[in-house]
Amino acid sequence: MTLKPLIHVVDDEEELRVALLRLLDAAGLEARGYASTGEFLLHPLPDDPGCLLLDVSLPGPSGLELQEVLRQHGCMLPVVFLTGRGDVASSVRAMKAGAVDFLQKPVNADTLLGALGRALAHDASLRAARAEQRQLESLFATLTTREREVFDRIVAGKLNKQIADELRASERTIKAERAHLMLKLGAESAAELGGLAERLRQTAV
Amino acid sequence: MHRHGGSRLRQPWLAARLHVATLCLLLMAGHALAEGSRYVLVLYSNGRLVPGNVDVETGLRESIASSAERPVQVFTEFLDRPEFVGDAYERTMTTYLRDKYADHPPSIVVAVAGDALDFVLHHRDDLFPGVVVVHTAVFPGLPKPLGALPADVVGVPVEYDITGTIEQALRWHPKTRRLVFVTGSTARDRQWKSLFEAQATRFEDRADIEFLSELPTDTLVKRLRGLDARSLVFTAGYYQSGDDLWATPRDSAQLIAQASAVPVYGTFSTFIGTGVVGGRVPRFDAMGVQAGQIVNRLLDGEPPGSLDLPRWMPNTLDLDMRQTRRWGIADADIPTEALVEFREPTFWEEYRTAGLIGATVILLQAGLIASLLLEHRRRRKAEMALVQRGGELAHASRLAIAGELTASIAHEINQPLAAILANAEAAELMLKSGRHGPDDLQCILADIRRDDMRASEVISRLRTLLARHAIARQPFELNEAVALGCEMLRAEARRRSVTLQLQASAAPVRIVGDSIQIQQVLINLILNAMDATGDLPEERRRIVVSVTEQAAEVHVAVADRGHGIAPEHVPKLFDSFFSTKHRGMGLGLSITRSIVEAHGGRIRVKSTPGAGTVFHVELPRLVEGARTAAPNTEVDL
Repeated sequence: MTLKPLIHVVDDEEELRVALLRLLDAAGLEARGYASTGEFLLHPLPDDPGCLLLDVSLPGPSGLELQEVLRQHGCMLPVVFLTGRGDVASSVRAMKAGAVDFLQKPVNADTLLGALGRALAHDASLRAARAEQRQLESLFATLTTREREVFDRIVAGKLNKQIADELRASERTIKAERAHLMLKLGAESAAELGGLAERLRQTAV
Repeated sequence: MHRHGGSRLRQPWLAARLHVATLCLLLMAGHALAEGSRYVLVLYSNGRLVPGNVDVETGLRESIASSAERPVQVFTEFLDRPEFVGDAYERTMTTYLRDKYADHPPSIVVAVAGDALDFVLHHRDDLFPGVVVVHTAVFPGLPKPLGALPADVVGVPVEYDITGTIEQALRWHPKTRRLVFVTGSTARDRQWKSLFEAQATRFEDRADIEFLSELPTDTLVKRLRGLDARSLVFTAGYYQSGDDLWATPRDSAQLIAQASAVPVYGTFSTFIGTGVVGGRVPRFDAMGVQAGQIVNRLLDGEPPGSLDLPRWMPNTLDLDMRQTRRWGIADADIPTEALVEFREPTFWEEYRTAGLIGATVILLQAGLIASLLLEHRRRRKAEMALVQRGGELAHASRLAIAGELTASIAHEINQPLAAILANAEAAELMLKSGRHGPDDLQCILADIRRDDMRASEVISRLRTLLARHAIARQPFELNEAVALGCEMLRAEARRRSVTLQLQASAAPVRIVGDSIQIQQVLINLILNAMDATGDLPEERRRIVVSVTEQAAEVHVAVADRGHGIAPEHVPKLFDSFFSTKHRGMGLGLSITRSIVEAHGGRIRVKSTPGAGTVFHVELPRLVEGARTAAPNTEVDL
């Protein structure tokens, strides 16, 4: 989290884009402007923290279409929409697709900065969650095949004895392996292991 | 004229038969005429062409009745007095008449004027013994009283009312101080002179009496010309002048009247027309009629002695109106019983019919002109109203366009507003934090101003389109108007994701008309094209507007690549209230065509179903040479 979040502003109206960038700059935010979806896509998809401020109606592919494409490519940057004409259909579609907010021009600084703040916070929490996940996964990767088999059965709620039977090992061995993997994963109870398994499953889905 | 009762008419017939039977013709005083007698001889004292004789003859011919049961033949002879006189002449005349009429013995002799009567009375027994004599135009005082006449000599004498005439003249010319009588040199003329002298004595106390008698013509003319204005001339004409020139009384009266500087009055009705004013005179034609009627009664068998005749021929105040006017006698002063000849009809009297027709024609014409003017005014008013209504309709249509463009217009205004707000708040934040470069605020303010201008431009463009304005007829550059029209639709095109392409002409093209209305035409056509391409894939949503200059025209085309127009809709396309759109009123194209036609242009459509539609508008170009002829003139369209 050492990187300052970057706000990507896509609006074809140069005058407004310049004004918005100016405003964000004055508010102490990093921002970069693009005149069209195309221009935005010419740059590598950003992986850094930040969010998108998208005009709904753009020449060529619209803001809504960009939002969709980014999702498909796994870019999870939160999106705040700006629109000159607030039609209900577009706003519903945008919100369903996970937009943080749908703002109407002209927008005052508080509203805009509030929405962008929420978007950045969302991004930050997403990033935090993802980082935790990645940590979990790397811990999990340290387990041996045998330990994973034991882990799966513990999480499934089986007793040591049952596990031993299934794996044709002594109950004792299973106990030792269980202690080992709990140590590896930094868990202190079976319930904790269950929580870990739940989080892993989420990312696997 | 003096016919009497029927009972008196029948009695003579009876008597006549008795008298014939007893053959007592000559012994009878006032005997009746025998049956079968049918010759009437008219003997004139003077020559054939003396005007009085001609009048008498006319009256006689007019009145003597000739019929199948009682045929009458009238002969005329002339004594030609006063030129021919003397015993020898009288003898010759007597023999001549007796011999001539031996086979046609007249039963009645009509003696016209005193000389003829004297002659007949003197020679009756030699000529036609026992013939009945009817006299006429006999003036007893000239030269002598009539005296007692035989019973079978009958007639109505005349009286020349010299006194009456002069008195009438003096009433009309009250300033008269001199009465001038003109007479000639024959015996007859001298008789007139003595008659005048006798009459003139009555007026001696009112005016000087002067006689111009027997003067040579030249002298007479000179004297008459030199007469004092307060004089009057009176004459009976004359047969012979002092220098032995012979004339009829009428001719000499004419000479006198034309020479005279003052009004001339006369004794004879025949003087009317010569320049003589007139006088109280017996009329010769009336004398002829009177004599003719006496002849009729005698021929009918009335005995001469039993005829109840008037004592005198009536006198008529006979006047020549040209002369009364000439001498300033007011029409009102002319007695109503006067016989006014040469009455110069008033314009109304003379040209009554023509005048009426003329007046009617003029009235009708005036009415027609008035009604045409009225009609023209009414039509002009109606045209103005029509133009105004057309203008109002066009205006209403522009309002509808604006309604259609609301979304894009709002967007166009919103964009700069959003930028202004963002800039203003950026500045605010900068000022709050104190973190800003030296030029930052300057840039922001410049941008705010620019965006503000942008918004107000949109509004003013809209206002121009929506304003209710008098329809102009001014030269303007067409490409500019077309570009403005496209500019109005730029946001709308973007909203609908339509590419709007404008191809201006190579050189500027000027036309005359109303540039707002031409923009309206463009907007209408482009909006139609947008509607036509609305549901097409984006690459086909492309509208090309092109301006092409030609020799005398300029050609504006609006082309789209839409579905095209169904062929059955094409003929109705420009009709009012024809629309294929759900929400269309169907007025857009109708108004578009009205505007184009008001600009002297044409609009056509060429559509290929499935491939697109092109609207062609052809407008007359303003030829640059003609620019000076009609620059900036405000004319109704």
